[in-house]
Amino acid sequence: MSATVQATNKQSPEPKPMKLEDILQSDVWNVDEEPHIVVDYSKCEKCPTKPCIYLCPAGCYTLAGNRVVFSYEGCVECGTCRVICPMDAITWNYPKSGHGIMYRFT
Amino acid sequence: MSSTSIPSKFDVAVVGAGPAGSATAYLLAKKGFKVLLVERGRGLGDKQLFGGRVYAQPLREVWPELDKEAPIQRWVTRERVSLVSGDKALTLEFKGGERKSFTALLPQLVAWMQRKAEQAGAIFATEATVDEIMFKDGKAVGIRSGNDVVYADVTVDAEGVNRLLLERAGIVPRLSPDHIALGVKEVLRTGSSQLEAAFGIGSDEGVAWVVVGDVTRGVPGGGFIYTNKDTVSIGVVIHLKHAINAIESGQLNNHVYELVEGFRLHPYFRNLWHGATISEYGGHLTIEGGLSFAPKRLVYPGLLVVGDAAGLLLSTGINYRGVDYAVYSGKLAAEAIEYAASHGGLTYDNLLEYERKVKDSFMYRDLVRHRAVEMLMNDPTMFSKLAEVFIGLFSQMFEQDYSVPTPYEAFTGALTEHNMSLNKLMSYMITAVRGL
Amino acid sequence: MRIVVGMKWVPGTQSVRIDPKTGTLIREGVPSIVNPHDLPAVELALRLRDKYGGEVIALSMSPPPAIKGLEYLIGMGVDRAILLTDRVYAGADTLATSYALANAIRKIDAEIGKVDLAVFGQETTDSSTAHIPAQTASWLNWPYVYYVRDAWLTEDGKLRVERILENAIEEWELDMPAIISIAMKSIKPRPVSLLNKIRFKTNPSTLITWTNSYMNLDVRCVGLKGSPTFVAKTVDVPEVPRKKIVYKPKDGEDAARWILKSLLSDEKASRALLKALRGSSGGEGS
Repeated sequence: MSATVQATNKQSPEPKPMKLEDILQSDVWNVDEEPHIVVDYSKCEKCPTKPCIYLCPAGCYTLAGNRVVFSYEGCVECGTCRVICPMDAITWNYPKSGHGIMYRFT
Repeated sequence: MSSTSIPSKFDVAVVGAGPAGSATAYLLAKKGFKVLLVERGRGLGDKQLFGGRVYAQPLREVWPELDKEAPIQRWVTRERVSLVSGDKALTLEFKGGERKSFTALLPQLVAWMQRKAEQAGAIFATEATVDEIMFKDGKAVGIRSGNDVVYADVTVDAEGVNRLLLERAGIVPRLSPDHIALGVKEVLRTGSSQLEAAFGIGSDEGVAWVVVGDVTRGVPGGGFIYTNKDTVSIGVVIHLKHAINAIESGQLNNHVYELVEGFRLHPYFRNLWHGATISEYGGHLTIEGGLSFAPKRLVYPGLLVVGDAAGLLLSTGINYRGVDYAVYSGKLAAEAIEYAASHGGLTYDNLLEYERKVKDSFMYRDLVRHRAVEMLMNDPTMFSKLAEVFIGLFSQMFEQDYSVPTPYEAFTGALTEHNMSLNKLMSYMITAVRGL
Repeated sequence: MRIVVGMKWVPGTQSVRIDPKTGTLIREGVPSIVNPHDLPAVELALRLRDKYGGEVIALSMSPPPAIKGLEYLIGMGVDRAILLTDRVYAGADTLATSYALANAIRKIDAEIGKVDLAVFGQETTDSSTAHIPAQTASWLNWPYVYYVRDAWLTEDGKLRVERILENAIEEWELDMPAIISIAMKSIKPRPVSLLNKIRFKTNPSTLITWTNSYMNLDVRCVGLKGSPTFVAKTVDVPEVPRKKIVYKPKDGEDAARWILKSLLSDEKASRALLKALRGSSGGEGS
């Protein structure tokens, strides 16, 4: 892989990092009207680590000040939040009627 | 029109049309069973995500026409393994030639499997999320989706790693981070000629590449690269238990997407997909330590568990085998149901044949033999230190101004630099060798 | 009651890409979905059928992949579906589309049974013209009411509809057959049912296809040839990046104070705010 890579190396400027919201533009959803995941925020308030903020690959969990804000629209239905939530604050279901993420390539 | 009678009783109801469910439904429908295959997606493989490589032989046992018909991206001809520490990398390449494994886009591959099942005569109901496996007197009698109940002599649970149904049935406990990893993946479109030039491969070649070390910021896991026809699948896998620990200890304070971002932008790798556009981004859970994840039984009265839901996935750190295990378990389930039907009926005792078949299979043997890998993957120190020490060794050997160190000097230099005793390294190596 | 409900198969994405050269949507690789605004129309049609009996027939003019969309509607409970599909229908604008749909409704009326009502969504997510129901009503010379959110039959067999406007709710009474279009998001659609999906897969006559050799429409009136309008120019408006901030105010005054403070702390926003304030005070002459 050496020669080819070196050749392109010279021309290419260092690629820029992207924002998650821009990366997510590559995905397509058929968003349901009703959320398939419900979060009990009163439990989040007592959560010391809030691992969902870091580990939800779709960034559905964000911090507003010190509060967790969840939005289901961009969910990729992996189930990570359900597994890692230390407070048992998440009621998790798959979306109904074929709604949600529509993968084409992965 | 509404009065048209709708069939609501089947021989077999298969929940989930991934690789395992589609294979089960295909084989049973082909044998004349009345099969219902239920899928929550739209029947286009639209809920499917995996790393990127499939081992072919177990699939050929189900679909002998695989090589000719399946949407194969590239046959893997080169295996690469890289250890990464900082900007430095150590790569090993193996050039093979046999058609052992191929890269694929899972939505396309699974849509092909689903069509096969439907063509064989299975009733393929899409956009229907199953809410519950129905039990009567301790025996599974069918499934419920919303207000609709469909009865079946046997239910095959192929719901995947997120076992909502088995949890609701009280068969498995709630998914815990202990045996689960998160895979986050991007598909990068580069075009085939650029891809082949960058990876140094021919048009009939493909690369499977495992990356260990810094890509996951010391959290046990790793990175992967698979070449498709004109796209590259890249991603990272992190063990969720250790990710949580790393967040609690402050070691990990980045969003998980930044790990993939760091991998895509890593100076050693980034030119492989220079100028690429991201075609898709996604995440999926995967099993670490299949046997600990498996339910107590794979057969319950009226119920068989296949694929990921059964913990049938091998993850050794170098080899990941999920799709072929899923398909193969589907094949064994179909054979067991057929066996039961021809030996007096679909009774619990007869269906136990499935469990016997799994225990006799290469899958179960390998899952037992690779158990030590779990210990390896479960030791975060081991994971990051080994990469560092090896990179250090090669750095000492190759990065020099005047004096060339002897191999011994390079080795001990690397050990001291990374604060590792020979004893400790040896014990890690023994664990590693035993595991791998 | 026999009710026809329209369905459009639209790109399933919020960020529809537009080909800058041709001004047409790029659909490659973007999977399509049922136009979300059609779903309340389907739901209302199903409720009417459930209440008064009869059948609901879904109708769509589209290339064959739209069968997936009609399958979805059958999954919701639509009794059967008709796909109008033919090469000569390609490239239709709203006039040519409504012409074909109106004729299909006539054909249903003649060959399946009397149609009492046609229900459409308010508009589509990919073109937002809201032309189709009105134009179809014109072709058929049927009464038409839009922004409907509920409908029922009166004792003397007329259709009574509730219409939701920005600041009023109206009730209208229509002779049937009639056409109504349903206000977007006004009715929650039911989910797909497993048994209905099994019905679709086990009963092939649930979905039928009508090509032009069956429809026998004048080819000068359909497709690109029958379309007097074309897209002259499209401008891709880049999305404005938005920041999400959540503030929990103590009361109304606190909320107003916080919003004002946030706006004034941003240079661009404060300039726009001052301009707007000046504009409104100027208008009142004070």
